[in-house]
Amino acid sequence: MEKSEIQERVVKVVCDVLHIDADMVTPEANFVFDLGAESTQSIQLIAAFEEEFDIEMDEEAALSVDTVGGAIDFIDKCLGA
Amino acid sequence: MCADEMSGREKQLVATESKDERMEPLDAVFNPQSVAVMGVTATSGTVPYDIFNNILDSGYKGVVYPVAPGKRSIHGVKAYRYLTDISDDVDLAVIVYPANVCLRALDHCAEKGVRGVIMISAGFREVGPEGVERERQVQEICRKNGISLIGPNCLGVINTDPKTVLNASFARKMPAEGRIAFLSQSGALCTAVLDYARGKKIGFSKFVSFGNKAGVTEIELLDYLHRDSETDVILLYLEELRDGRGLIEAARRITRGENAKPILAIKSGRTPQGASAASSHTGSLAGEDAICEAVFQQAGIIRVDGIEEMFDSAILMTNQPMPAGKRLAIVTNAGGPGVMATDAAVSVGLEIPTFEPETTEKLKAALPAAANIKNPVDVIGDARSDRYNSALDAVLQDSNVDEALVILTPQSMTDIDDIARGIVEVHGRTNKLIACSFMGAYDVQTGIDILQADGIPHYILPEWACGAMADVERFRQWRQSAVGEATKLPVDAAAAKEIIDGAPAGYLSEEKSLAVLDAYGLPVPTHKLCHNVDEAVAFAGEIGFPVVLRVVSPQIVHKFDVKGVVLNLADADAVRSAYDAMMKSISENLPYAEITGVIVRGMIPPGHEVILGAKRDEVFGPILMFGLGGIFVEVLKDVTFALAPIDAGRAHRMVRDIKAFTMLEGARGTEKADVAGIEEAMIRLGQLVTDFERISELDINPLIAISEKDGNAIADVRIRISE
Repeated sequence: MEKSEIQERVVKVVCDVLHIDADMVTPEANFVFDLGAESTQSIQLIAAFEEEFDIEMDEEAALSVDTVGGAIDFIDKCLGA
Repeated sequence: MCADEMSGREKQLVATESKDERMEPLDAVFNPQSVAVMGVTATSGTVPYDIFNNILDSGYKGVVYPVAPGKRSIHGVKAYRYLTDISDDVDLAVIVYPANVCLRALDHCAEKGVRGVIMISAGFREVGPEGVERERQVQEICRKNGISLIGPNCLGVINTDPKTVLNASFARKMPAEGRIAFLSQSGALCTAVLDYARGKKIGFSKFVSFGNKAGVTEIELLDYLHRDSETDVILLYLEELRDGRGLIEAARRITRGENAKPILAIKSGRTPQGASAASSHTGSLAGEDAICEAVFQQAGIIRVDGIEEMFDSAILMTNQPMPAGKRLAIVTNAGGPGVMATDAAVSVGLEIPTFEPETTEKLKAALPAAANIKNPVDVIGDARSDRYNSALDAVLQDSNVDEALVILTPQSMTDIDDIARGIVEVHGRTNKLIACSFMGAYDVQTGIDILQADGIPHYILPEWACGAMADVERFRQWRQSAVGEATKLPVDAAAAKEIIDGAPAGYLSEEKSLAVLDAYGLPVPTHKLCHNVDEAVAFAGEIGFPVVLRVVSPQIVHKFDVKGVVLNLADADAVRSAYDAMMKSISENLPYAEITGVIVRGMIPPGHEVILGAKRDEVFGPILMFGLGGIFVEVLKDVTFALAPIDAGRAHRMVRDIKAFTMLEGARGTEKADVAGIEEAMIRLGQLVTDFERISELDINPLIAISEKDGNAIADVRIRISE
């Protein structure tokens, strides 16, 4: 999958889960500080990414990802593995 | 520079200076005009949400801003994505983000010119090296930008002052307004204390959980509360004391003088592990807790054992006048509790005075013949309010009485509420301290409510009242005691310096140790290091028999183990044969030992054996110890400590604080010791260990306190020198 497509789908998932506008979701955005993710929403994000991309993510590793760009890279790696 | 070119911090400074030059830095924390909560969530039951909600619920008088990215509003209050999006000034920011984004949050605070920050977030020095580094960066940002930081890893701050009314914490309830301030290093304890106080109807002026104290320390908070007109008594819960000397200085400022306020403290962590590696008696006994005790004593901080005692004493100090003395009158309707109260009062150091004849006459006239008109006054079981009133009035007017304790047991004819109202009346016309113990829990409750509504402290048991009165007395005595600069006596520091500077790390030899002590004017007996038997015999003849021989060798630390000490040698022949036997024993037992010589000195007459010790603590510097000496030092542990150097007053108290002091005073026919000489020796020892950082441990054990007439003499000493 092209990285641009991953990014597009990540942005969509983030907007859906966090109920925010797409223009807030930049690669540098920190899920907590910039996007207001609560701790339970972080878990919801992982579940939503897994469903969106049909992958299984290591939860501990996934939770340590704190930016949108980091999530895109993480998912890219999961898809390539 | 025009306003647009100024940083947020600079703008804030200009604004503050023009707005109110008298504002203190910590006012940004306690009396902010505006508060932003950074990291607010929309989920009830989470710490960020509850803190925001608590600020709203408490009735905060300023403006509050939720910083909650992605949310339009929280609780109907417009939310902001970033702190820097808020156009108005923000005095205080409460940061509730996870630790990994706290630095960014703090950067925004700096950019916005925020002057006070409460960092609730955990994940700093308490979690290991990564957290330590994060905390260091937090400190750096705060220092650079003049931010007063409370926390991190804390519960928050509460101010009940009606001008502000701020509950910037995640405590469940806003406490009632009161005159007690509570400072705690533990956040969890705060919630328990708040609940306890609520149950006891105790209010607070300020309530602060200061957590890791990365920014504002307990010392700065104590100073602020000293100046706070809403606070009368300060309570402190400490887990770790980092600046003992700073605490002593601050507490002395606070607990003495015109605006004196008592400080009651709990210091947890009484474990002695820190002392386990020490090699001297002083080192092994001077653990963290012992040092902390010394710090509190020198600071005038009243150390209490638990929350119950802390509040028992605090409510008495808050609501009642400071008594002129410790003479307690007891008025009771039951003999047993009266006697129990008397026992408790005496055991905590209060006095039960005899009344003046005039008082006795008044009591005789007012009470039935069966009543006890002596102290404790027993108004008898059928007493009603008139009898209580007359008795209480009479004893409080007695010039031999400083304070009164009223005890009531609920008997069938006891008009509890009327008696309580009568006490309230008497309370209104006296300037002496009154405490009450209406014993029981159910029938007496309405009476207790009447008393407490009038600010009369109540205790379920009279013993608890006596404990609280004893703490009041400790504070009164502390305020009256002389506390001065460390006493400086003339010493030959140059002579000691020459020896210590030239010594390698390890134990100083006995003759050098004695020379150091001699240079500082400590009571070293006349002695000489002799290098052969003839020299020893000649010197013994000079000073007169009997004499003592003590071997000097760098390899021999425990002289008695190798028969390196021989006492009570009556003549020259005895000295010769003892010398020969000593050398033989050492050559057999420690053939490698190099013998420097033998110290010859006169026999010290018998006396009380005491220990004078010192050690250098990594955190607190030089510590002094005094106690019962000899071979049972560590068994009996009858010792007391102080941070060196000390003044004459501290030396006076140190010597008197040991249980065995009565022995030194000549108890049971024993010789009275030269106590003044011991006090002087403590001062001199304090000077010595303060002057020379390389002295890591020092034991004078024993110092023989011979008699008031013959003074004191050092029988043995060990000085350890560090690198």
